[in-house]
Amino acid sequence: MNFASKFDVFWELFIVQGGWKRVLSVGLVNTLLIAVLGLLIGIVLGTLIGAVKVMPKYKLLPKILDKICTVYVGFFRGTPIVVQLLIGYYVLWPLLGITISPLNTSIIIFGLNSAAYVSEIMRGGILSIDPGQMEAGRALGLSYSTTMIKIVIPQAIKNILPTLGNEFIALIKDTSVVSFVAATDLYKTFTEIGNVRYEYFMPYLAMALMYMILVFIISCGVKAMERSLRKSDKN
Amino acid sequence: MIKIKNLCKSFGDNQVLKNITETINQGDKVVVIGPSGSGKSTFLCCLNCMEDPTSGSIIFDGEDLADLKVDINKHRQNIGMVFQQFNLFNNKTVMENITLAPVHLKKLTPAEAKERAMELLARVGLEDKADVYPSTLSGGQKQRVAIVRALAMNPKVMLFDEPTSALDPEMVGEVLDVMKQLADEGMTMVVVTHEMGFAREVGNRIFFMDEGQITEQGTPEEVFGNPKSPRLQDFLSKVI
Repeated sequence: MNFASKFDVFWELFIVQGGWKRVLSVGLVNTLLIAVLGLLIGIVLGTLIGAVKVMPKYKLLPKILDKICTVYVGFFRGTPIVVQLLIGYYVLWPLLGITISPLNTSIIIFGLNSAAYVSEIMRGGILSIDPGQMEAGRALGLSYSTTMIKIVIPQAIKNILPTLGNEFIALIKDTSVVSFVAATDLYKTFTEIGNVRYEYFMPYLAMALMYMILVFIISCGVKAMERSLRKSDKN
Repeated sequence: MIKIKNLCKSFGDNQVLKNITETINQGDKVVVIGPSGSGKSTFLCCLNCMEDPTSGSIIFDGEDLADLKVDINKHRQNIGMVFQQFNLFNNKTVMENITLAPVHLKKLTPAEAKERAMELLARVGLEDKADVYPSTLSGGQKQRVAIVRALAMNPKVMLFDEPTSALDPEMVGEVLDVMKQLADEGMTMVVVTHEMGFAREVGNRIFFMDEGQITEQGTPEEVFGNPKSPRLQDFLSKVI
């Protein structure tokens, strides 16, 4: 194996011919876009599902909602993300008669997928909050949902922020499969560089390095967040 | 003010309250005493339906709170409650703790609520703590804020569930002082406590609860001075 020539080819394509521009401006941006927006959708939807899961179930409506959420979480945790992408793009959208771009499809599916995981994190977060907080709110005459939204969930979110950071890291890594529905992410842009000379050794090595750096930066952020949360817990 | 009729409460097979019928009048300072597990706290929690009664009724403001169709949130606005564990909202400052409910429930405008909160905080000597978070307060301070939070809703009656049981001994006094002050102002109060001195001094009616029933009641003189049942005599001999 001639490492030097592989490196030269990569250098030529990536640096001299400016291949890095597309990697950063399209690949990296899309990867981050899918992960960030996916996580945001996941947090909003996951919080709702988590809240439904911890609702007292005396009445019919919470019972029905709970069943729906159980099926939802079961589906998204029980099938691979690739399958969910394919089902969305090639089955669901045609059935609904709508067209959604590969990038937006990826964002939506990753959002729905991470909602299932975030809901379990959120459920644990809500259950970790002292029931006295809910009692105090209810005793003042606030409704269950008001107390939940204003008192319990903000405290739960604070407690689970580091866990959500880890969910974000997992999400970033998982986005590398979006090329199954022809979305252009980091993996796709590096593959394109490889395709020029059918020489994938360096592009994929560089890609691995890029993912590692990305994850390293985010985990530093998560650690900093944990530290500052611990500090604010003390005072 | 509160009429309790045939109140029963069971947790599964365990019947905690057995057919309690009682009336609490305007201005009453009812102190509920009794051994652990006698149902004191459960009785108190049934008064504002924090625990839903299994059967019986709680008549307050002409409505039966035990009826699930009644808007319980509306009535709870008039029934203040103070907990053993304070239960201040950890994610809110002292000021926000106090003003959240009156403002959200449109009882007061934000400005009015703030003014009233400062006024009440000054009364309990904590006006300098308005902007701090509960985690920086001592137990006694937390409980005083919790009392202020309940008072900010201008309740008709205040329920106290062992308000000093979680406090260091040296902080019990400051909380009891606030409660005495409140009693002197004529607030209707129901207090579950183990502080017999407070019961004797502040209460005008003492309920002695044993095994889910109010087995003996009367003025402090009657209950403490001349206990009739052996069970009460035994209980008093242990706690005084």
